[in-house]
Amino acid sequence: MSESTEKKLDATGLFCPEPVFRTKIEIERMQVGETLIVSADDPAAEDDISRWVTRTGHELVNMSKDGNVITFQIKKVK
Amino acid sequence: MTTVTNTDVLSRVGNTSLVKLDSLSHNNTEYFAKLEGNNPFGSVKDRAAYWMIKDGEERGILKKGKSIIIEPTSGNTGIALTGIANVLGYKVEIVIPEKVSNETKEIIRNLGAKVFETSDDLCPKVGAGTDQSIALATSIASSRPDTYYSPNQYANEANFRGHYEGTGPEIWKQTEGKVTHFFTGVGTGGTITGIGTFLKEKNPNVKIIGCQPQQNHLIQGWRNFEESAKPDLFLKRENVVDDWVSVDNNEAFSVVKEVFEKEKLLISPSSAAVYACMKKYPIEGDACVVGIFADDGRKFKSVYATQNVMTEEEFDNILKEAKHMSELAY
Repeated sequence: MSESTEKKLDATGLFCPEPVFRTKIEIERMQVGETLIVSADDPAAEDDISRWVTRTGHELVNMSKDGNVITFQIKKVK
Repeated sequence: MTTVTNTDVLSRVGNTSLVKLDSLSHNNTEYFAKLEGNNPFGSVKDRAAYWMIKDGEERGILKKGKSIIIEPTSGNTGIALTGIANVLGYKVEIVIPEKVSNETKEIIRNLGAKVFETSDDLCPKVGAGTDQSIALATSIASSRPDTYYSPNQYANEANFRGHYEGTGPEIWKQTEGKVTHFFTGVGTGGTITGIGTFLKEKNPNVKIIGCQPQQNHLIQGWRNFEESAKPDLFLKRENVVDDWVSVDNNEAFSVVKEVFEKEKLLISPSSAAVYACMKKYPIEGDACVVGIFADDGRKFKSVYATQNVMTEEEFDNILKEAKHMSELAY
């Protein structure tokens, strides 16, 4: 069995800027190289989270939409 | 059941000292400082916190054993709300900008609140500093309305009423109705509109003067209206302000030691900014001038050392010698 380095954060039902704030806290708790999957349904989260990830030098590996829910795959780089 | 109106500590909220500032007074112009650091949790914000909790309890939206109080604050409201909530048995969560002094954050944590620190890069479109904290506290509370009670000092009428029914009448009584000029900074606008409205009802000729800090200032609790929005509470009655006076960080910090040497008061950056404004604002003839000193200087050791106002050793000595340092409830 491979060791899981993927964490999940359900930010659905939360409004801007709470999804990005919760993302920030989770990322701070993680080790470099680990990945966080964030799901959010506030439309503002798309910009907020992707911009925050870029500004803080982490990697937005993937972003997808399923209905209202946006899923971000973020890798902690530093 | 313990409520906000029947506890010993809370009976000490308000009725703070008004002391004459000999260093500014001359001939028939007398200057006074209203020492809000005399409140049990150390600042003018004890009034807003007390009145907002009282209002929440009276309206039945703050429930013992069920509600969590959440509030965005630049410091003193966090201390006041947490202190009062502790006495009453409520849980508190405080949202605070990360650049607020470590002493302040430590006091809030030690009083038992959960502290969330916000940074300006979180959600740039909402603004800087406390605007980030306001947005986060609002989002946390609005998605869980059954659990959270957010007093929201930036829009809560109880904040205004604390000054309209408390501080304003105190100043009127303490000056025997002689007050002619009133100076204070603006954060939520509760102090300036509450006191200003009351004083103008008593005497429409009283001049209400707002102090404006520079942009990117270091005056905890104040807002510069070019970089931060005017709060709803202030907007409702902003016409009560007759005039504005600007003050920069250097002007404020440069009077901290002067005020200690001349008045034996250890004052906070915002009190220093009010003193600097009163000092430079032209007032002629007979006058009775009152300024709000929102808190004393005891929380600002690291700020004063960083800003080269005084060394930590000097601070410790001044703290021992300073007058009017009341005993706090923490």
